[in-house]
Amino acid sequence: MDKHNTSRVVRVFRYDPATGGEGSFATFTLDIPAPETTTILDVLLRIQKEQDPSISFRFACRVNMCGSCGMVINGREGLACKTNVSQLPPKQNITLRPLNHFPIIKDLVVDMGPFFEKYDDALPFFEPKEQRDEPYQIRPDTQERIDIGMATDCIACGCCVSSCTMVNYHEGYAGPAALNRAFTLLADKRDALFEARLTRALDSCYNCRTEFNCTEVCPKQISGTRAIKYIQRLALKNLKSLKPLPAHPAELQPTKAPVIPAPQAESCSCHAHQQQDTMAYQTPPPVPAATSEQSCCASRRSFLMGAVAVGSVATLGGILGAASVSPTLEKQPAQWVDLASIASLPEGKVSTVSLQYIRTRAFFSETINTTVLVRNDGDGKYVCFSNSCPHLGCAVSWDELSGRFKCACHGGAFDRNGDVVAGPPPRPLPQLAWKIENDTLKVEVV
Amino acid sequence: MREMKSEARSPLQWGELDPYRRGRTHVGMWAWLLQRISAVGIVIFLVLHLFYTYKPFVQFMLLTVLAFHAALGLRVILLDLNLVNIKYQRDLIYWLLGIAVALVLIVWFVIY
Repeated sequence: MDKHNTSRVVRVFRYDPATGGEGSFATFTLDIPAPETTTILDVLLRIQKEQDPSISFRFACRVNMCGSCGMVINGREGLACKTNVSQLPPKQNITLRPLNHFPIIKDLVVDMGPFFEKYDDALPFFEPKEQRDEPYQIRPDTQERIDIGMATDCIACGCCVSSCTMVNYHEGYAGPAALNRAFTLLADKRDALFEARLTRALDSCYNCRTEFNCTEVCPKQISGTRAIKYIQRLALKNLKSLKPLPAHPAELQPTKAPVIPAPQAESCSCHAHQQQDTMAYQTPPPVPAATSEQSCCASRRSFLMGAVAVGSVATLGGILGAASVSPTLEKQPAQWVDLASIASLPEGKVSTVSLQYIRTRAFFSETINTTVLVRNDGDGKYVCFSNSCPHLGCAVSWDELSGRFKCACHGGAFDRNGDVVAGPPPRPLPQLAWKIENDTLKVEVV
Repeated sequence: MREMKSEARSPLQWGELDPYRRGRTHVGMWAWLLQRISAVGIVIFLVLHLFYTYKPFVQFMLLTVLAFHAALGLRVILLDLNLVNIKYQRDLIYWLLGIAVALVLIVWFVIY
């Protein structure tokens, strides 16, 4: 085999805690003759052995069981020991980078502390309802066992949390792994902490946006999304056992100093009460270092709420205003329709001709019945008046005796030329454009 | 022994220093993003629709963004209520979007 073809460029993220900074990619060129049987972990070990001994990464079992070698491999989370070089797009450089959302200790090694803090919050341990001497029997074909399935296989590698786009934007979000753990215990009928667990887990479940990133990257084929949906359905079935969580201290922060005592005292007693109830499985109080950040976020929240309120009012007002005003502003497409043969219009007189035509507006057709008043001046000259009164749109009729167009509604009167002679109409009677084709008078209507 | 300065780098964010991330995003993420974008599209084209009710372009765009938003909303509902097994989530996106596009075209050519 041509050696030139088997060499791959490997880019590894380097961060040195002694120098600090942002960190950057280091580039290595490595000959990988058998990409089908070479894992990313092999690649890293070879780089460490052959090229740069200072490179840091974690691994232990090498067989997809311990979950310590989770990293971002070419834009997707995965275990280095489970991902083969041949699984990556052949044209891309092998690019290795530590997991998202975790502090980086060195190179590819991240601090998994935040992950396990959230894992702890989900009460990841089994608490039996009753003490038994005999082992509890759970048949493999019971629905709860089938529901839980292989979800207990989680190795806590952190890939799901790294792939989730919502973890960073929701402070209290437990993340897929912790919720999956909560799900396996919630689905278990022997567990005594159902209410406390469900209340906590449900609070986090609202942050899932059903993107399935966690499901796609999980090296154990566990679906965090499925666990989250299961918890939400479980909550629907157990609405009565849900209790509201005590207010998070961060939520009480933005209120001004004089206002604080009452609600805080209340929440504190509630907090203490709950603590007794659930045997001190409460979250530890937040670190005071976050205070400035919280006040910034509180003002951002109130700003966003104000912006949303103003935005909704403006949008709603705009829509209502536009809906009421725009039909009158709109340019109506006109059409020519046959009115009458010219023989039927006596010269020197005003004839009343009824007119029926179809008006089509894209999705909607309607038949219009109206009347046109035609004055025949002789010599092929006509004046066609619409019968719609410019005052309020009532039907205008021709009164031969007085020689006027009269509107029955409010006593408006127009002379032979359509000019107003009496009553409230603000404008002369509207005239329609006309033309003669094949001895037929045509008018333009909308 | 020399004292070593040691501080952890702040967490990398999703997509930060990650050249292949966007090119290798999974389809569920696009479904979510498309639904958000179509929601913005609905607001825009609904307002335009009120001003230019019978403009074919505005009508077509409103129909399209509504169909996309509805199809992807249906996806979330079906998955939420376990009416479709979660293992079919990728197929669900393609099928629902395909049905939405087919419906848009049928409705459009029936009307015009």
